[in-house]
Amino acid sequence: MIKTTDICKIVDTSEGSLVILEGITLEINQGQSVAIVGASGSGKTTLLSLLAGLDSPTQGTIILGGDQNITLMSEAQRAKLRGAMVGFVFQTFQLLSSLTALENVMLPGELRGDAGAGDNATRLLERVGLGHRLTHYPRQLSGGEQQRVAIARAFASNPKILFADEPTGNLDAKTGSKIIDLLFDLNADFGTTLVLVTHDARLAGRCERSILIEAGQLVTEAGDVSRAIA
Amino acid sequence: MRLALKLLIRDWRGGELTLLLAALIIAVGTVTTITLFVDRLQQALLLESASFIAADRVISSSRPIQPELLTRADEYGLSRTATVSFLSMVFSEERAQLAAVKAVDTGYPLRGKLIIADEPFGAGRPAAVGPKPGSVWMESRLFPSLDTRPGASVDVGAMTLPIAHVLLKEPDRGGGFDTVAPRVIMHLSDVGGTEIIQPGSRVTYRYLFSGAETQLQAWEASVRPDLPADTRLYGVKEGAEEIGDALSKAERFLLLGGLLGVVLAGVAIALAANRYAHRHFDHVAILKTLGATPARIDQIYLVIFIGLGLVATLSGAGLGLLVQAGVAEVLRPLLPVALPAPSAKPIVLGLTTGMVCLLSFALPPLLTLRNADPVRVIRRDLETANPSSLVAYGFGGFGTFGLMWWYSQDLRLTLLLFIGGLVAVVILGMLALLLVRSGRQVGLQAGSAWRLAIAGLQRRQLESALQILAFGLALMLLLTLFLVRTSLLSEWQNQIPADAPNHFAMNILPDERGDIRAFLDAAKVSVTPEYPMIRGRITELNEVLITELTNKAGSERRAPRLSSTRNLTATAVLPKDNKILSGAWFSPTSEVSEVSVEAEFAQSNGLDLGDELVFEIEGRPLTALVTSIRSVAWDNLQPNFYLIFSPQMLQDFPSTFMTSFYLNGDQKALLSPLLRQFPTMTVLEVDALIEQIRTIVAQVTLAVEFMLVLILLSGAMVLLASIQASLDERMKQFVILRTLGASNQLVRTSLAMEFAVLGAFAGLLAALGAELTVYGLEREIFDLDYSPSPWLWALGPILGAGLISVIGMLATRRVLDQSPVSVLRALA
Repeated sequence: MIKTTDICKIVDTSEGSLVILEGITLEINQGQSVAIVGASGSGKTTLLSLLAGLDSPTQGTIILGGDQNITLMSEAQRAKLRGAMVGFVFQTFQLLSSLTALENVMLPGELRGDAGAGDNATRLLERVGLGHRLTHYPRQLSGGEQQRVAIARAFASNPKILFADEPTGNLDAKTGSKIIDLLFDLNADFGTTLVLVTHDARLAGRCERSILIEAGQLVTEAGDVSRAIA
Repeated sequence: MRLALKLLIRDWRGGELTLLLAALIIAVGTVTTITLFVDRLQQALLLESASFIAADRVISSSRPIQPELLTRADEYGLSRTATVSFLSMVFSEERAQLAAVKAVDTGYPLRGKLIIADEPFGAGRPAAVGPKPGSVWMESRLFPSLDTRPGASVDVGAMTLPIAHVLLKEPDRGGGFDTVAPRVIMHLSDVGGTEIIQPGSRVTYRYLFSGAETQLQAWEASVRPDLPADTRLYGVKEGAEEIGDALSKAERFLLLGGLLGVVLAGVAIALAANRYAHRHFDHVAILKTLGATPARIDQIYLVIFIGLGLVATLSGAGLGLLVQAGVAEVLRPLLPVALPAPSAKPIVLGLTTGMVCLLSFALPPLLTLRNADPVRVIRRDLETANPSSLVAYGFGGFGTFGLMWWYSQDLRLTLLLFIGGLVAVVILGMLALLLVRSGRQVGLQAGSAWRLAIAGLQRRQLESALQILAFGLALMLLLTLFLVRTSLLSEWQNQIPADAPNHFAMNILPDERGDIRAFLDAAKVSVTPEYPMIRGRITELNEVLITELTNKAGSERRAPRLSSTRNLTATAVLPKDNKILSGAWFSPTSEVSEVSVEAEFAQSNGLDLGDELVFEIEGRPLTALVTSIRSVAWDNLQPNFYLIFSPQMLQDFPSTFMTSFYLNGDQKALLSPLLRQFPTMTVLEVDALIEQIRTIVAQVTLAVEFMLVLILLSGAMVLLASIQASLDERMKQFVILRTLGASNQLVRTSLAMEFAVLGAFAGLLAALGAELTVYGLEREIFDLDYSPSPWLWALGPILGAGLISVIGMLATRRVLDQSPVSVLRALA
């Protein structure tokens, strides 16, 4: 489903070039759940943004869905691809503040021009337990509720791959664990490939695979998660 | 399309669009209000001032013009009439007097009214029509001169005509001293019977036209090429020097105000749109992660833009229509004339201005949204991209320039303001940066409100400098307009002070001087110094006969000719409102015969300092050296002369004298005994004219004041928009402070101080900018005497600090009262 070959990300800073990621080659299969773990500043979030096509690598190739080489695509092509096969859940929820819960979840469908975007969004919000909060604005929802809206939105486009960036990072332990349950339940229902970045050992432990990044390099696969997160 | 509309509606509901929409509506509203009101007032002013020439357009000629040219006016739906003026002796049974006879056709006057009375110097009333065939009306002062009364008859040429009424005022009398002879008016059909007009007679034919301005212009364009060379076609601005200047300056001021209104509105829109775009960068990043392509983003925001534009321009234009109707209604009792209905042009102008403002100021920041990087959703630490770019500034600049030019139809004014504005922006911007950079301190300096405020300003150097620049520019424009307005008003008031002489006495014989002064002194009438007055003409220039010189003014019909016979005078004191441009005024000790020449006369006839002129006065030659060139305020209603001799030079000539005095309404009755006692004296009454000018100046003043209020509103909008634009950043900082335990008092005080310091800096820059702009405007555009305003340097900073801290605190009050968490959420 996701295949990378020797990807590098180098950025220019005032003190010269800075290598953020180097020589990352990996493969993630359809339906797999993978945790990317590592210390702060190790480059795991950068890796996620490259895999999701939000950013471009300095070198190397990334292929999504078997044949879509996103490193050769323009921003417009990548955006189309994201709309068609990718969903996102973010640490800071990233809901549009001027839209209600329902309208936020309708967005992916509306961008694609789905006539049934509203019904689909209502169903999903009911599925995440927010059927009674459809017309609430993000500022009227708690953190856990906002993340549930974000999860409903991520699944609204029926994605093949779901990328999650520290989905529990902004939540307390109890709410976090509810969110983890919800995420994995939906993932199972939709048969989605799940790639997430996390510091949360419980969350990483729920994934089938963990990838450890240290100083921009892939150190280990399926290894000792507690070491990576320590 | 549907999604974009939904987003627009959702943004509106969520309060995201409030400020941008408000800025747009107020911008369009202000421009429409100004344009509409100015248009109506201008129409009213033109109608009112058209009475100065008794028509909208006049063709004046020394010969009758072809009837075909006159009937052509009928094709354009214009009304027309005609007058014929000539000098003639008028005889009563006892006496004779030279009179300025004007024969008028039915329909005269087309604009303004004839005011008549039953007794000389009596109470006046408007006359519905002019004199009927077979009768005359005579000016008050002719009755004592001719020793006659209304109802009696006078002889005009071969006709004996009864005096039907006393003529108090005719609209197109004017204030010139060429028309010193007392007026007699009669019907045009009687002119033939008088047998006065013979081949070679000096006669002025005036053809009067009135109608809608567009028709007049079309007719004027058609008829002008066919007019003989020695005819003049003029409107009120060229025809009435006394008010033409005030009208042109008022128009230019209103125009300037309109231009500044557009610029202020543009700045407000740009600031609001920038803030909107800034806040939407994250939204766009999210939309992009959800699959929106850059083209889609453009499409979405273009629809939002058009939707906004339609709502804003339509409601702005509606608001403008309502406000100006309200203002016109409120001002109705104060306006001496009824305002004509608004024409469609200003509404179209307002709508177009709104759209151009939107395109130039709001679209560019919105279009930069397509560049929002989707990685922002994960990497929150990414710098927020600044939606402004060179392209955006280019758009804004181009739009502003285009609008200014279109508005003013005056490239010079536009270039002056635009380049001046650019230079001001660059210089003020650098100064602002310099101000915030000086004395940089480390840390947040949270110990005291004052240090916290200063440190805050210095930490956001570029933003602070930009804000000072925006505040400074808005304040500068307001101060500039205020200063120009004050200069204009004081000039108009000085033009005719309350006790300005409103009667002129001429032809005073030397041995009557003392008696006349005694007569007026006894009645407690204040009299100005007397000038000797004598007719004479130039015969030689630098030992060359004038007849041998080519008249350099030949091509300029209106230029004063060198060889004409003129009124000459001699005085030791430079007359009021005269200014020496080159050379020096007569020295009391000089023994040379000197003459001071008016600048336009000197220029059009090629005269210069040191030229030797020979005059012929009463058949005798008089030689004088040109020792000064003078400017004269022709519109001040004072005796003005092209040529003034040094004192004593006219001593040996039998000159008469002229003087002027002020009579109030009660003293007016003195004229009758005065003229009976001194029948050779001529008194020219300009009180009615002065009253007429005062009315118009009052109207113009009202328009100017109204404009200032509207621009103040626009300026306040800019200030509000720029405070709003910086609110998010400030709020974040203060939430952190509050979370860390800073007291609400510290936060408030420091915020107030920060605004006050910003305002004071902005005010300082505004004072500098305004002083320079006013200098340029008054010298180049308004022909006013510039004088520096030292108080500005104190007022600017105080005004800036006060205004901005008050508006700033009002704008932030609601947020400061909320808990830190809810503020953070609102900002998220």
